[in-house]
Amino acid sequence: MTTPKPRIDHKWGMVVDLDRCTGCQACVVACQSENNLPINTKDVFLQRRAYEWIRIERYWEGEFPNVKARFIPIMCQHCENAPCEPVCPVFATYHNDEGLNVQVYNRCIGTRYCANNCPYQVRFFNYWEPVWPERMRHQLNPDVTIRSRGVMERCSFCIQRIRRAELTVERQEQGKLDHNTMKERNFLPACAMACPTNALNFGDQGDASSPVHHYFEEANHRLEERHHRTERTEEHPSRVYRLLEEMGTKPNVIYLKKVDMFPVKKGA
Amino acid sequence: MAAGEHHSEGMWVFPAPEAVTGDMAEKAAGMPKAIARALVVTGILFGLGIAGFVMRALDDGFGAHGPWGYYAAIFMFLFMVTGAAPLAAVAFRFTKSHWRRPMSRVSELFALLGVLNVIMFIPLMIVLPSIKNPEVGVEELEIRRSIWFETPIGAPLAWDFLGILFLAICSLAILWLSAMPDMAEGRLSATGFRRRLYSLLAGRWYGTKRQWTIQKVGLGLLGAFYFMTLVFVQFTVASDYAMSLVAGWKDSIFPPLFTLTSFQSSLGLILLALFIMRRWGGYEQYIGVSAFWSASKILLGLTLLWAYHTFAFLITFWYGRLEIEQNVLKYFFFEAYGGAFAANLFFSFILPFLILLWNPVRKTDWGPTLAGLSALSGAFIFNLKTFVGAFNAGDVYAYFFEFVPGPTWPDLWDVFMVIGGLGAAAFIYIAATRLIPILSVWETKEGAKYQKMDTLVRGRYLVLAKPE
Amino acid sequence: MQEGIVLPARRINADLLRSILNSPKWFWIIVAFMAVFVLGAFSTAGFLINRGYGVTGLNNQVLWGFFITNFVFWIGISHAGVMLSAILRLSKAEWRRPATRAAEVLTVFSLMTAMLMPLIHTGRPWRTLYWIYTLPFVPYDFARGIWPNVRSPLVWDPSAVYTYLTSSILFVLIALIPDFAVLRDRTTGLSHRIYSVLAMGWQGNARQWKLQIIAGVLLSALILPVFVSVHSIVSWDFGMAVSVKSWHSTVFAPYFVVGAVHSGVSAVVFVMILLRWCYGWQDYIRLEHIDSLGRLLIVVATGWFYFFVMEVIFGFYGMESDELAVRQMQFMEEPWNLWMIFFVGLTYFLPVGLWLTRSWRRNLWLMSIACISVNIGMWLERFLIIVPAQARKQVFTFNWYTYAPSIVEIMIIVGTFAMVTMLMLLLSRVVPLIPLYDIKEGDILKTQVQIGRRTVPATFRED
Repeated sequence: MTTPKPRIDHKWGMVVDLDRCTGCQACVVACQSENNLPINTKDVFLQRRAYEWIRIERYWEGEFPNVKARFIPIMCQHCENAPCEPVCPVFATYHNDEGLNVQVYNRCIGTRYCANNCPYQVRFFNYWEPVWPERMRHQLNPDVTIRSRGVMERCSFCIQRIRRAELTVERQEQGKLDHNTMKERNFLPACAMACPTNALNFGDQGDASSPVHHYFEEANHRLEERHHRTERTEEHPSRVYRLLEEMGTKPNVIYLKKVDMFPVKKGA
Repeated sequence: MAAGEHHSEGMWVFPAPEAVTGDMAEKAAGMPKAIARALVVTGILFGLGIAGFVMRALDDGFGAHGPWGYYAAIFMFLFMVTGAAPLAAVAFRFTKSHWRRPMSRVSELFALLGVLNVIMFIPLMIVLPSIKNPEVGVEELEIRRSIWFETPIGAPLAWDFLGILFLAICSLAILWLSAMPDMAEGRLSATGFRRRLYSLLAGRWYGTKRQWTIQKVGLGLLGAFYFMTLVFVQFTVASDYAMSLVAGWKDSIFPPLFTLTSFQSSLGLILLALFIMRRWGGYEQYIGVSAFWSASKILLGLTLLWAYHTFAFLITFWYGRLEIEQNVLKYFFFEAYGGAFAANLFFSFILPFLILLWNPVRKTDWGPTLAGLSALSGAFIFNLKTFVGAFNAGDVYAYFFEFVPGPTWPDLWDVFMVIGGLGAAAFIYIAATRLIPILSVWETKEGAKYQKMDTLVRGRYLVLAKPE
Repeated sequence: MQEGIVLPARRINADLLRSILNSPKWFWIIVAFMAVFVLGAFSTAGFLINRGYGVTGLNNQVLWGFFITNFVFWIGISHAGVMLSAILRLSKAEWRRPATRAAEVLTVFSLMTAMLMPLIHTGRPWRTLYWIYTLPFVPYDFARGIWPNVRSPLVWDPSAVYTYLTSSILFVLIALIPDFAVLRDRTTGLSHRIYSVLAMGWQGNARQWKLQIIAGVLLSALILPVFVSVHSIVSWDFGMAVSVKSWHSTVFAPYFVVGAVHSGVSAVVFVMILLRWCYGWQDYIRLEHIDSLGRLLIVVATGWFYFFVMEVIFGFYGMESDELAVRQMQFMEEPWNLWMIFFVGLTYFLPVGLWLTRSWRRNLWLMSIACISVNIGMWLERFLIIVPAQARKQVFTFNWYTYAPSIVEIMIIVGTFAMVTMLMLLLSRVVPLIPLYDIKEGDILKTQVQIGRRTVPATFRED
């Protein structure tokens, strides 16, 4: 155990299939309890200071009665080129080598600049000291820090689960850390685990057998085309896109367009 | 400061008011060999320019705007420099700076080039692509981004043209009003054609107190008006012919940067003209080093401001990392026109800054001139890079500037047009100096009265009067 | 004819030291009144730190509110000092003389006040002190292994502001040395000893004067880049934020700097009018000075207006729906559109209208109104840049919200105004707010030139 085992270079990613999302909010609840988020009481919600590391945005399309609800789950996009990172004066948020955008609560001084510079608005400031009712104290997750007031927080892709899986493989099973042993640990972020329709898929982008692999291949390929200044070859009907692609943030979260069998008639 | 006659030789000049009029009239009427030779050379260049223009029109027609990049660049350079040149007279007359006196007519005479600007602008009106997209394709906009949004009637061509025309008229009015007292004196001594011209221009000028008041107020009002219009027209023209031709380039500091470059380069041009007059034109007793010394401070300030604005632009685009902004940086600043930008930075900032940094150098006539010449070249490269680049940046109706092309090199006709434009401007200016005295007679006389040497404690110092 | 007569040096000393050597009755009453507000603000800040930032009106969308607005405002006011002293000194404008000291002192105090704002704005101020506010003393902190992020505008900010503060204090102190010497010779006891230390052995001999002048000119030249960089960097706090639409505008740096000069010089003019009225300095702060400052302000205001127009036009220019949403909020939605009208009217049209006529420029009441209106307008300007942009940050309309300040924020803002006023008043008890030697120097250089039948005021020039 003294010599560290060679680690594989993970690059985590998530694929959100909007065609499957029903807007049920199970992911929101799962995230809330997994990550020790303070309870969004009515007061907090009305102050617009609710914590939702993952949130379901709901938009209406069309005019009544010809109307459809659209859902899009938005969580931290773990951008490769994260706008939140360079603006932090104390390096409280930075990029680790697993493709994750991580937050160091201890360094955070609460300038809120990162939240301002996040185009997806997925960073949350602790306006109040978090409190839970006495009877809920025991449901808090011991693997996750409770953030004091005055610091920023946001989705970590449930990094505690990734770490726990790694530790299990390395320390308990004395195994070698690779894609297969990791996968056997069957870890997933709480939201992906809770999603009843498998709209949220999580995995290693480099692992050819992971559910997200080929979507990232496709997305990166399209980006490459752009960067090598080649004219777009052929407009193949791809569902893959990233949020606010023109910002150049290169998120590690990919969205799949909704396939709409019965689109809302415009102007009806 | 040390006691005694401490002001350096030639710093301030004390022309005798009585001798100025005759001397000026003599200088304006004569035709020295050097000037005749200059007129011939610039005339030939002018001809070459016209030939280049005709060939370009025959080769490419007026359909696409791409081939006209170099023409636009030389027009913009002339418009930038000659449009801003009269401001030097206007601004420093407004601040009641004494050292402006030798350079105010030099700067106002550039008003005559306004006519050239108007004529040269007409082909550009034809080649500018329409704001409304004629055929809307995939990922294209219905109207391209422009400062005219919903396109009022005639925008942008007619409005830009009107602006340039108005500037030409307004600057001519300033020139006329300011030259009127000199014309009135000139009609007494001149002969023949000049006498008729001077009488015509001087009108009923008799130098009454009321006329002087009207002239001064008129110059102030026209100047303020000219200043504001110029800044506005530079904003519209620069945006229409550069920014809105590069799809998605949104850069609010570009018009101020253009204006700033114009101030800097036009002051440089005026210093160059003053230097030539002082060294070889026999105006040494009228143009003191103080004009260069004081102008050099302004030039230094403008140079620093130029660097500051450029930096403000670069850091904002560089930090943002938006794809469009990265592409603009690649195209205009680092890859395609990277060399041009380096040269621009060197001539507009580094060289003038290194020259103007030194007090002893600024207290000469050649130091500020050298810096001015450098700023002028910098502005030339700035225009070439910006407008040639913008005219060849691909689809103007695209959603954004996605594919960065390489630089566009000039062909023979482009070279002809560029040197022809410069030649035409020089030709008109030099020809004008034969008719209108290049030194403002009344301002020189007025200045001579407002300054004297006097004793304070133990030293002799210059005394400057500032009437309210 | 020249306005203002040349006064004997003894008279100048007596007049300008009046604020120090005699204590008017109203003085302590006003200071106490201001102190109440300052104490109020400090206890409110304590309450804020104790309870957490929930007591402000900020929310998940609008994360920067009144505090940041006020920070930018006070940094803006601080630009008066260098504008008036350094630039006008280098350009040898004679009418700067009575304004310099007040402007420099205002610079120092407004900078100090401004830097309190980001401190109480951050979530954990005690850590901000430790991480960021040490920057003036340790430019880049290697020793403690803290590693601040040099890419962050929030690290550029304190570096620039503290450099500016340090150099402004030096600037004030060097300009004060001859006046401290005068005070040293007129006081006794403890204050005599303090002034002796501050005067640093000033005897007024030729060498000392030469050094003092060289130091002043050098500092003026060196402080200029700092002056420009400070507000540029403050503007880049916003300009670098690519995700907030309408902030990422290239023109922000010069726009903010000119705006800062606009509000700063207006504030100085108002302070001068107050000083003239409080201490009866009619012979020193003359109408011609106010007049010249008014003319300078027309130019500054018009330059500012140009940049404002650029910023707005290019906001619309991109025709991007998210940016248009911000503009929609600023210009169309109540109450923001009313604030917008007030802001543009108060910052430009009302004051410039009042400055256009010579007789109005010389009317102290109208001048005060214009100067106050500029500062209200400039405060609103920062507010209208900062808040609507955050309220309409991106295309995700689901998250759009708005902002209303809480009483806590308002108390603290009011406290900062009281604080600067109180500090200025207190300092006027300690140093002369009009430089004695500068006035005397101006009087010596004054002369006249006879042209025909007229006598024209003139000055001796050293070049």
